[in-house]
Amino acid sequence: MSNETHKKSKGIMRKLNAGTGVAFGLLLGFTVNYLARKYLAQGDDFPFYGDQVIISTMLAWALGFMIGVGAFVGPYRWLMNRDLSYEDQMWLAGKDAGTARYFRFTTDHKVVGIQYLVMTMVLLGVGGTLAMMIRTQLSMPNNHFINHSMYNSFVGLHGIIMIIATIIMVTGPFGNFILPIMIGARDMAFPRLNALSFWLIFAAVPILLAAPFLGGISTGWTAYAPLSTQAPAGMDAYIITIIIFAVSSAVAGANITTTAVTMRARGMTWDRTPIFVYGAVASVGVAIPAFPMFMASQIFSGLDRAMGASFYDATNGGSGWLYANLFWLMGHPEVYVILLPALVALLEIVPVFSRSPLFSFNAAVAGIVGITGLSVLVWAHHMYASGWAPNLNAPFMLTTEIISIPTGLLFLVFIGTIWRGNIWVRLPMIAVYAVLWNFLIGGITGIYLSDVPADMALHGSMYVTAHFHYTLMGAGLTGMIGATAYWFPKLTGRMLNEKFATPAFLIMQLGFQVTFFGMFLVGLEGQPRRVAMYDILFANGNKISTMGAYTIFFGALIMLVTIIDSWRNGDVAPANPWGSQTLEWKVPNPIPLENFLVPPVVTGDPYQFGKPDIYDLGADKEKVEV
Amino acid sequence: MSTKERKLGSVGEFIRRPYVRHIFIIWIFVTIAIGLFAPVQSSLMGNSASLEMDVVKETMTIFTFWSAPVAGLVISVALYSLFGWRSQGETAPTEDGSPMRSNSKVVVGWLVGSSILCVMLLVWGLAAMSESHNGSDPAKIHTVNVVGNQWVWNFDYKDDGNFSTPVLYLPIDEPVMFNISSVDVIHSFWIVEMGVKMDANPHETTHMRVTPTELGIFNIRCAELCGLNHSAMFTKVHVVSKSDYKVWVDSMKGSAQ
Repeated sequence: MSNETHKKSKGIMRKLNAGTGVAFGLLLGFTVNYLARKYLAQGDDFPFYGDQVIISTMLAWALGFMIGVGAFVGPYRWLMNRDLSYEDQMWLAGKDAGTARYFRFTTDHKVVGIQYLVMTMVLLGVGGTLAMMIRTQLSMPNNHFINHSMYNSFVGLHGIIMIIATIIMVTGPFGNFILPIMIGARDMAFPRLNALSFWLIFAAVPILLAAPFLGGISTGWTAYAPLSTQAPAGMDAYIITIIIFAVSSAVAGANITTTAVTMRARGMTWDRTPIFVYGAVASVGVAIPAFPMFMASQIFSGLDRAMGASFYDATNGGSGWLYANLFWLMGHPEVYVILLPALVALLEIVPVFSRSPLFSFNAAVAGIVGITGLSVLVWAHHMYASGWAPNLNAPFMLTTEIISIPTGLLFLVFIGTIWRGNIWVRLPMIAVYAVLWNFLIGGITGIYLSDVPADMALHGSMYVTAHFHYTLMGAGLTGMIGATAYWFPKLTGRMLNEKFATPAFLIMQLGFQVTFFGMFLVGLEGQPRRVAMYDILFANGNKISTMGAYTIFFGALIMLVTIIDSWRNGDVAPANPWGSQTLEWKVPNPIPLENFLVPPVVTGDPYQFGKPDIYDLGADKEKVEV
Repeated sequence: MSTKERKLGSVGEFIRRPYVRHIFIIWIFVTIAIGLFAPVQSSLMGNSASLEMDVVKETMTIFTFWSAPVAGLVISVALYSLFGWRSQGETAPTEDGSPMRSNSKVVVGWLVGSSILCVMLLVWGLAAMSESHNGSDPAKIHTVNVVGNQWVWNFDYKDDGNFSTPVLYLPIDEPVMFNISSVDVIHSFWIVEMGVKMDANPHETTHMRVTPTELGIFNIRCAELCGLNHSAMFTKVHVVSKSDYKVWVDSMKGSAQ
């Protein structure tokens, strides 16, 4: 027995990494591609041949990659009755492995967090570059920078890349790296599923990035049928990406939820659990019912394209409205999947930088729960003008407008915490102010759009584009940048150089306001979304938008360089540079493999700030005895 | 000390705090500034060309007025805090801020306030929706069939003669019912200055009603991405007097024969 445990496993498991994954993925992909082309029926009677070949090749690549990277080692060893030994598990966790552990199927949640962060930054970079192409094309009314086909393809690709990037941008890096330490756990509940969720996305990204070479995603990110049935093979890339991504997010959602529910430290009751944990769980919790809808919508779409099924073909008993419903059943909860984690990350930041307790923890929880519950009941407000069910417009207007009540509670928590605080203006706190401003504009323009008659005028116009960029980018992405600035010392062990990061952030914010001011302008004047050319009437607004967009890009480049430089050469960070009280700041830098040498015991909530104050003593009766 | 005269936490004491007055002044300014944005927004949308657009512009203006005080409150507290409550010095503040953990009056007040606003939005919206359904004698409604086709609009006049045209003509002040469909993918039929749009779905017919109130030439654009030349899928609507409309219809009937 002891012989067996000491025997060093020489299995091929220890040779697997991203490189073997890519190699095996390509091998299986090319093999299946060859077989499909050889044996699938083709010719004029078989119009689906092309899509069948492409879809089977992509699925084979993904499967091959996952095998090659070692995703199935655990289940395989279990099936062979040679379950992983302690040494194997330590090896999988990346014990003493140096940077090589970032390039293989490593189960340590801190490694997965960093992998997600880098992946998010890469996706944001690609999506942002595409946005620059779009804005360059739109800088003049009849520009010929790119042709219409390329333009449509870039619009779709920009959309879906940014959606994926923003969905993973907070729960990926911080939900994986920070959340387990924040609750006093040694790792996630399911470390191997954690690695699986990341490497699935890694397998999907090359498929998505292949889309431009297969005719592009010419449908916008919404991929409405029957336009998607007409679209070139790039659409298959979209479909497969979404299916893989849905699996990844289901796995990640189950993992984060289980971790938060079962692995909190001794004494961490629900009212002592940091608000970030609530928001992260709510976010992945909403994704659990929402993403299967997306997956189903794309499976149907794929079957329509590759098998001649007619889910969405109105001439054969299908309906485009079925697609729109399935899509928005995911699509609206999804904006809260993006928004909530960013907002709750900021709710961790506000108390620390105001040196005040979170104002009404319970109101924050109620806000999160309210938004989560209502978010699955508002989807058809995207379909007021679709003609699908006009009688349902009024009920959906009701649910949409009610969501402003829990959202308002979160605003109250923000300003209540700031109220009479001792405000420490550092980059994370500047992000809080920026998000308050952006989210107000996103929220108010959302009120106009929730109103049925007003939406009949504004739907499908650039106004909507500006509105959702204010929520997803202005609140979501800006919040994520604030969270990165806040947790950077913990993620990297170094301080972010704010001498450059803060100006970069402010340049991005300025550019952002200018870009989307221009877009609101042309939207109100009547410019439709997703047009490659436009009436001369909209020239000024578009010029403003393009200049703003270049400003954002310039700021983002400085930010990127600053982040990379600080990561490599920044000042070494103390364990708790901000004086925070959550548990992740109690572990030393660098963080030990299993986070805590002694399991922590929690005796209060992490918002114990504040000195007795003559004014507030009276205002808050519960605290009079202090 | 004034604490002897007024109970701490009372409304009178609260409004006497210097920072509350400052925030109140900022709030007034910010609220007015946001309110002033309403006419700007309205003018950007251009002159209204239909009863429906009147409703849209009214809604946008009134919603701006209702949101202004709430947005103003958030902005004024945030702005004040950056100056009035800012920690001095570069390093971490040694002093903490207020220890306030909650205030039930404020939370309840906020909830009640936002709920009332929400109900106001809803009632306004419902009233506006029913307004657009009421009105004139159905016999007087003109019917036009709209067909979207990658990437042109076609208008089939059935009631006023049997002919098709790529440019829409409508008589002023008379309600029109559009029956909208598509022969290929989803389009969206949008008469910009009239503030109405409705998707054109393949093998389905959707309906949209509008009453033009201004003479002139207005824009029709496609508002749903419909493929390669989506951005080129536009045409015009001519709103003409009733007598001119008759003349136009007669000429179209003549050329259709």
